[in-house]
Amino acid sequence: MIRLESISRSFLLGKESVPVLNGISLSIHKGEFAAIMGPSGSGKSTLMNIIGCLDKPTVGEYYLGGENVSHYNDKELARVRNQSIGFVFQQFHLLPRLTALKNVELPMIYAGIPKKERQARAEEALMKVGLADRMNHLPNALSGGQKQRVAIARAIVNTPKIILADEPTGALDSKTSKDIMEQFSELNNEGVTIIIVTHESEVAEYANRTIMVRDGMIQSRFEGVRGPAG
Amino acid sequence: MSFMENLFMALSSLKAHKMRSILTMLGIIIGVGAVIIVVAIGQGGEAMLKSQITGPGNTIELFYQPSDEEIRANPNIFQQAPFKQEDIRALEQISEIKSVVASSTQLSSVKFQKDTVDASSTGINQAYIKLNELKVAKGRNFSASDFLGGRRSALISNKLQEELFKGKNPVGKVVMVANQPIEIIGVLEKPTGLLSFGSMEVYLPFQTWKTIYGSSDFTQVTLQAVSTEQLQVAGKKAAKLLNNLHNTDKSYQVINMEEIAQGVGQITKIMTLIIGSIAGISLFVGGIGVMNIMLVSVTERTREIGIRMALGATRGQVLTQFLIESMTLTFIGGMLGIVLGWGTSTVVSFFAGWPSLVSWQVVVGGVLFSMVIGIVFGLLPANKASKLDPIDSLRYE
Repeated sequence: MIRLESISRSFLLGKESVPVLNGISLSIHKGEFAAIMGPSGSGKSTLMNIIGCLDKPTVGEYYLGGENVSHYNDKELARVRNQSIGFVFQQFHLLPRLTALKNVELPMIYAGIPKKERQARAEEALMKVGLADRMNHLPNALSGGQKQRVAIARAIVNTPKIILADEPTGALDSKTSKDIMEQFSELNNEGVTIIIVTHESEVAEYANRTIMVRDGMIQSRFEGVRGPAG
Repeated sequence: MSFMENLFMALSSLKAHKMRSILTMLGIIIGVGAVIIVVAIGQGGEAMLKSQITGPGNTIELFYQPSDEEIRANPNIFQQAPFKQEDIRALEQISEIKSVVASSTQLSSVKFQKDTVDASSTGINQAYIKLNELKVAKGRNFSASDFLGGRRSALISNKLQEELFKGKNPVGKVVMVANQPIEIIGVLEKPTGLLSFGSMEVYLPFQTWKTIYGSSDFTQVTLQAVSTEQLQVAGKKAAKLLNNLHNTDKSYQVINMEEIAQGVGQITKIMTLIIGSIAGISLFVGGIGVMNIMLVSVTERTREIGIRMALGATRGQVLTQFLIESMTLTFIGGMLGIVLGWGTSTVVSFFAGWPSLVSWQVVVGGVLFSMVIGIVFGLLPANKASKLDPIDSLRYE
């Protein structure tokens, strides 16, 4: 599903080029639940941005579902983000003026899906995350866990190839974190590929594979399948 | 993404900041309104001025401008009326001329009982009444027998009635015009319009006038042509005829009021243009207000832009979103400005007593122009929004 081939990414600080990722090669297969871990400054956010097509590698090739997306332009990358990737963020990143339903409809608006179908699919996605009775609430009328569920519904509604979650439980208490992680496990059981960036080992335990990033390189891999906890 | 989708999105985000949107719109409302008011009142004033100058009908005025030789030969030439009765009869023979309106005016005293005032006394022929639309408010108008018989009857202006009769009914009374007894048969209507001031006037049939003042010459001659197309020909023929009769070269000429009216119209056009461009500046300032608020909006909504981009919005879609938002703002402002301008100019023209001309061109132009303002002044903020980096925007607090 995902194949990174010696990806490097460096940023210009003044006139100096600072490398953040140093030749990362990585494959994630369809149906996997992978956790990317690492201390802050390790480059895991940059790696996630590249996987999420928000950023492009300086060197290296990135294949997403067979497509080499490493040389795509902004417009093509926008399409890939829209069609193939579902984002879940630590800060939920819902639009505050839109209802839960409208927030979930948003990716489909950019995909050009007609209004009726959009609404039906958004309702379906919200039901799936257990928010059937909160569809017409604004985000600030929802609890943190409910907001993150809306975000998950929004991530899955366009049936993406992967779901990319950046510290999805970072702003939640432990009980709610558990609920959210179980939601991800459930989705993974249905065959959705999930990549979670986290620094909490409890969260990483839900994944069946952990990728450690340190100093811009992959340090070790824990291959093999572990059953989801809980 | 469809246009309607964008429009609803724009409306909802404008609604989210009602006060801000209204204040920003106010600049456009006032700008568009001011332009429409100026143009409407200007065009109305121009139309009114023109109609007052040209007067009714397809007419042309004859005038006499003696040459230097003639003045040297006869220094009193200006004291004499330039048009003789034979001239009028000769002019009436020209086939392109429908009627010759001739009159002669002298200032003379008008006395009623013990009061005496000065008024201009005009001897007129029958064509004069019709052409100058002399309408009688009290009493009766001149009849054909008044002209033919040279009856001692007169029409007086409203102003003269006020001065001499202090509101009493003058019809049937006898006044002394230049020490000759004349019966008043009617009072004229009060003149309307902004530029018409009441003046003291007595109108007499020319035959009567002739016996009072002992002169059978006319001071003013206006020609009415059979049609507007024939006006120039009639004027040329008349001038040539008079110059032949009086054995002069170019002393008799015609004034084309149409041309003068065009000239005056030109002046009011320029005035309208000048004031209109000042009003246009306020529209420009309104546009800058729109740009300013859109820039604030883009900065405030950096995170929203980042989210939209992460969810698959292209730069073009973000640009379109903000452009449509600023266009919606200026379009609504423009519509309200048209309502304001139309309403105000209607009220103003009602009190000023001249027509207000809100033409559809101005309305359509106002709407289109306000939308263009939305695009022009929305372009910079929208471009700024579309150039944002999604990663930085998502992190923006």
